[in-house]
Order: sequence, then C-alpha cells, then structure tokens
Amino acid sequence: MVEALLVLMLISSVFALLIRDMLAAVLLLGVFSMLSCLVFFLLSAPDVALTEAAVGTGVGTVILIWIVYRTERRDRT
Amino acid sequence: MDRTDTGRAGMNRKTTILDLISRKLAPFMLLFGLYVLTYGHASPGGGFQGGVVIASGVILLFVAQGVEAAERLFPFATLSRVETMAFLAFIGAGLAGIAAGIGFLGNPMVLVEVSAAPRAGMVLLLNLVIGIEVGSGVSLICLRLFREE
Repeated sequence: MVEALLVLMLISSVFALLIRDMLAAVLLLGVFSMLSCLVFFLLSAPDVALTEAAVGTGVGTVILIWIVYRTERRDRT
Repeated sequence: MDRTDTGRAGMNRKTTILDLISRKLAPFMLLFGLYVLTYGHASPGGGFQGGVVIASGVILLFVAQGVEAAERLFPFATLSRVETMAFLAFIGAGLAGIAAGIGFLGNPMVLVEVSAAPRAGMVLLLNLVIGIEVGSGVSLICLRLFREE
C-alpha cells in the first residue's frame, strides 16, 4: 500500500516538473502533498499527516495559486 | 495562451455553488480547528496544526467571499492586534516558569497543590496561545497577499 502510494507520488512529482502549465503544476504539487499525507498516516504518524494536510494541501496550494495568477507568463513556446 | 487576464476575471467571478459551500463549510472548519487545538495534548494535533486549520477556514472565506466581505468579519487591525497579544501571552507564559524558579517554559503548576486545576493545564494553555498566534498570523499573511496592493 505504501509502495503504491510512493510510486504515485513519484509519478505526480515527475509530471509537476515536466508540465508546461504552471497552474497544473501547482495542482499536481497539491496531489503530491495529499498522497504524502496518506503515507504519513499509514506509517502511523497522524500528527505529521495533519500538519501536511493543513499546510501542504491547504495554505501552500492557495499561496502558490495566488502567485501563478499574479505573475506573467513569459515563455518560448 | 495568456493566463493573466483570464486569471483576473476568474478571481472575481462568484458562482452559487462556491458561495453556498464556502458559507456552510467555513464555520465547521473553524470549529474543527478549535477541536484540534483544544485536544492537542491528548490526541493527534496541537497548537500549530489547529492554528493552521483555523487559518485555512479564514482563507476559504477570503477566497470564496471576497476580501471586502470577509474583512468585515476578520478586520486587518483586529487580526494584527490578536496576533501580537497571543505572542506576548506566550512570552508571559514562558516567563511564569522563570518566576516559579523552574526555567523558561517550565510548568508552574507543579508548585501548587490544587485539585481544581490539573497540572497538564499548562500544555492546554500553551496550545491555545500557539493556536491563536499561528491562526491569526497565517490568515494575516494571506489577507495581506489577497488585498489589492
């Protein structure tokens, strides 16, 4: 179970690195954060899982989406 | 593909689903944050986690209802004042240990023999103070970010 979640985390982080759209990358980072929260919970660390769910998935994603909306896209594609 | 102008329009649009869900969900998020904060010494959670959950409830109101509407409920000056007061209360609770002769953040409850106040009450007090500090601080950061200039 943990190994499958780790593979999913790897896939989502690789896609977040490779994808061109910044908003999709931020959302993939949120998916990565939620999967790591599940891994923490399965490894019986519910305290860390609660912190990861609140900070990584909640506040961090909101701030990164705000940054994506407030900055301009200058890219050669 | 230009994201900036669609982004501005997307930030200001408000749908019925978003409005209704955020109104119903935000009080429960604040209540759950208070629960995590209050029971942090006995179950998973604690001051920081509860504070961040409270802040995410406030941020949901900021994002979904607009900054002007949410700032009537959580004004900038009040959040700033509450954050400062919680910080000073934490320093005061730390200095109480020094005054009791134990050291910084020592538990002064061990000196008094009262059955009404359990000795673990110091942890609960510290969790509450840290939760208020973190919650108001994080929501202050996001309010400052979301406010137009």
